[in-house]
Amino acid sequence: MLKKKALPIMLAVLLMMSFALAGCGSSANNADGSNAASGGQTVIKFMHLWPEGSSKAQYTIVNDIIQDYEKQHPDVKIQTEILGNDQYREKLKVLASSNELPDVGMTWSDGFLKPYVEGQLFTPLDDVIDANLKDAFIPGVKESYAIDGKTYGMPLELNISYIFYNKEIFKKYNLQVPKTYTEFKNIVNTLNQNGVIPAAVGNKEGWPGSFWFMYLADRIGGPTILTDVIQGKRSFNDPDILKAATEVQNLVDMNTFEKGNSGLSNDEAKGYFMNEQAAMFLTATWELPNYTTSKDVPQEFKDKIGYFKFPLYEGGKGTDINSYVGGPGVGLFVADHSQVKEQAKDFAAFLVKEWGNKSVTDAGVIPATKVDTADKKLDPMYVEILKDLNGASNVTTYFDTQASPNVAELHHDLIAALFGKQITPQQFVDQTAAALAEEKQ
Amino acid sequence: MKAVMSNRAAIAMYVLPALLLIMIIIYVPLVLTGYYGMMDWKGFAPMKFIGFGNYNKLIHDSMFWKSTYHSVLLGIFSTLSLFIYLAVSMVLASRIKGANLFRKIYLIPMLLSSVAIAQLWSKIYDPANGMLNNLLMAFGVENPPLWLSDPNIVLYSIFVPIVWQYAGFYIIIYYAALKNVSEEVVEAATIDGATAWQVATRVKLPLIAPVFKVTIILALVGSLKYFDLIFVMTGGGPNHASEVMASYMYGEAFSKYNFGYGSAIGFALLVICLLMTWLIRKLTASNEDVQY
Amino acid sequence: MSELAARKRSDADSGTHVKARWVGRIGFGILYLILGILAVIQIYPLLWLFLFSLKTNQEVFGMSPFALPQNPQWGNYPKVWSQGHINLYFLNSVWYTVAAVVLTIVLASFVTFAITRMHWKLSKLVLGLFIIGLMIPLHSTLIPLFNFFKHVNLIDNPLSVILSYTAFNLPVTIMILLGFYQAIPREIEEAGVIDGCSVHRIFFRIVLPLTTPVIATTAIINMIYNWNEFVFVNTFISSDRWKTLTVGVNNFVGQYLTDWGAIGATLMISIIPILVAFLLLSNRIVEGLAAGSVKG
Repeated sequence: MLKKKALPIMLAVLLMMSFALAGCGSSANNADGSNAASGGQTVIKFMHLWPEGSSKAQYTIVNDIIQDYEKQHPDVKIQTEILGNDQYREKLKVLASSNELPDVGMTWSDGFLKPYVEGQLFTPLDDVIDANLKDAFIPGVKESYAIDGKTYGMPLELNISYIFYNKEIFKKYNLQVPKTYTEFKNIVNTLNQNGVIPAAVGNKEGWPGSFWFMYLADRIGGPTILTDVIQGKRSFNDPDILKAATEVQNLVDMNTFEKGNSGLSNDEAKGYFMNEQAAMFLTATWELPNYTTSKDVPQEFKDKIGYFKFPLYEGGKGTDINSYVGGPGVGLFVADHSQVKEQAKDFAAFLVKEWGNKSVTDAGVIPATKVDTADKKLDPMYVEILKDLNGASNVTTYFDTQASPNVAELHHDLIAALFGKQITPQQFVDQTAAALAEEKQ
Repeated sequence: MKAVMSNRAAIAMYVLPALLLIMIIIYVPLVLTGYYGMMDWKGFAPMKFIGFGNYNKLIHDSMFWKSTYHSVLLGIFSTLSLFIYLAVSMVLASRIKGANLFRKIYLIPMLLSSVAIAQLWSKIYDPANGMLNNLLMAFGVENPPLWLSDPNIVLYSIFVPIVWQYAGFYIIIYYAALKNVSEEVVEAATIDGATAWQVATRVKLPLIAPVFKVTIILALVGSLKYFDLIFVMTGGGPNHASEVMASYMYGEAFSKYNFGYGSAIGFALLVICLLMTWLIRKLTASNEDVQY
Repeated sequence: MSELAARKRSDADSGTHVKARWVGRIGFGILYLILGILAVIQIYPLLWLFLFSLKTNQEVFGMSPFALPQNPQWGNYPKVWSQGHINLYFLNSVWYTVAAVVLTIVLASFVTFAITRMHWKLSKLVLGLFIIGLMIPLHSTLIPLFNFFKHVNLIDNPLSVILSYTAFNLPVTIMILLGFYQAIPREIEEAGVIDGCSVHRIFFRIVLPLTTPVIATTAIINMIYNWNEFVFVNTFISSDRWKTLTVGVNNFVGQYLTDWGAIGATLMISIIPILVAFLLLSNRIVEGLAAGSVKG
């Protein structure tokens, strides 16, 4: 009986509630919607993708930097919005379509950045870089965020890829770190004979498999080959690239990777390595905390992990083992329409600078700015890798990062297909070349 | 009777609020989707009007048709599975002992979000560590299928969790419909000497036919625009082997920035849904007169 | 019906009573066996989720999914409660869900009643409009809707989420209600009209109570949809104070590293209220029937 009367009453209450909310909501919105809030404070909206839950170290560093900045600039208020990785990408696009980008936000380099620059959504940052961060970056990294000579992003991270391996498994089967590709293949064979998965790779998203392809292309065709392709100096339909793709399938035929890898995510494949079912894992330095400082990983596992540089291919044009495949991760942009552009630029530069000081020690992230290791207490693996970086002859930015979103997506699909043997190496190069050619028009 | 039940003010009061809401929140975006579909647009940067260019591309896009075929296939599987759910609901709605408990247990997976379901099924399907392949290997199968990476079976592998995910949804609807059948009708049939089976098939089924028809449309439309698990579990891959219309649209609009083309796919999806719904209504129209 | 009865009687006459009972017993045994197995399968995901929430990343991948966590990570729970801001998001989830469910069901009941029970020319057309509303893919609407909410100043306002939930669930809800309204005998409201009831009285006092079972059903369905939704919240809401549990889950998905155990714990926490609500509402599906038949 009660219920019958309750319904209309509930409806009425609900409607009133909605109106009330709409009322207060919009007035509140008006207040902080315009950037110049009350009391002459400047509000900078800042969006990043390091939630406390998944990236506590990064989150804490950023928070500390913000507090420092606010302390130094009492008239400035930084308003943050934090999203998970995929949600961040999706929301950025929706915000861009409504011209509602935050004043400062995170962007990826090259192919990701380009449409935003073409849409005049990001503002050039050269002036603020020259003023605050001149020569601060590792050479070549900043350039990934440049289009037509102007820099639209200030890089925060730099990742390079290595083959990480399980020293205990290697020792058990008397294996040495390979210097050449033939040695590497011998290792694969030995491991296979002993029922150990030689290497883990997850190709559901394509990019992890691309690491193998890119290194083979680098070693066979020389360090600049993929960059040349992007710049139109060479065709993807190049004998050396074809050879790299063929080698990928040879590796697949040799059972180098766990079965069914084209249906596995990177995290799932990583499980095989972390649980010592697989002996090697080609991945980037963002995994380092898992092998050094992370509290969630048992020390005995961390002690077993070492790394080596991708071996050299006999007769290949890439003869320097210190040529890496890697790339900048995220960088900061400042929105072109921002009403507090100058202040926003200043804050972004401050953040990049401070980030460089703190990120290695506090978060285990390799920053895009030069690091002075002398005064820092670091895990030996970091010291070694930072030294490698200084001695790097070349860092080829990941092909999918350099390519346009269209070609990058295609590349991911084709890599999964290549590893799954759904296409031949010839089809792989032909289809990519065709997509690149279409874009040139 | 007529006068009371055609009170215009009452009709307006009942219909307008909801109608207004969907007009703004669904139809405005719907019309805009059709409009963006005629643009060369990245989602930002200026739009360029290209008329039916996107649709022309769509018609010749074999990937689009492949994804459409997959979606339709999912629609067929979902529709067929309705019969199983109906059977389960009939058992649950009968007066067997423990039916109430069984019903509650059966519906629990429905409460799980797609994130959880995707995780669960990834663990089931994992090639070497998964539950399914461990089970198969325990039974002596040497090379168990690679459920999510073999392009020949990935589509069917992914259908299973999708269909399972919606089991609770349909069972609960059928269950409510069956419980809604008036006791008097059932009693009358029982007095006439009908067995439980006969009551179920000859009395109850025809009475819930309108509900069943509705669920066919829901299953079909829901399948045609299905997105969640495909996106999380396979991303449409490997190499588009499990691509469906909605995942293809998402890839174009959000991963490749072809928002114009993505909108055209979205609009085509709508048209295909309309066609299928119309077809289903035609096919089931013959029993329209089951009403009391 | 009489034909059926006759056939049934002739079956019974052929003297197979004893055999039939045996077959019946075995049949029931098999039925219960199947029901039992299904029940185990259906309850397993919940158990799995619980174990999942206590595992480390290393255990989540690699180890057999059946395996018990070696060293249960109870710490995942307090961790998500504070770091994942679950405490903050929890109430938002509850009241968005309740508000949208009530609004959807009230509006949908209105519309379905008007379409199935009242006489007016455009009813078929209006129904068509609602059904078409079922067919638009969600991601097509994101950019236009964001623009719309921006113009009416509802970005970062819970109302944008609640209204979207309501609008997108109205078509399904109406379609489910439709079949049930069609099954209500016309005599019921004819009696009401003869008694001199107004339309509103017929709707609120006679028809609506009759539909309690289906209202409970659609409430469950709507509740689950809204509770688990995250695309709208993620897009329209930017401040932490208005976000929901599903967004909380994403707080554990990192740029490179994802904390799966914490995701499990968040999912586990978030399933409890909806499980309770479901068990309560689920009883209504049956109860309503009794109330309805008394009325009828």
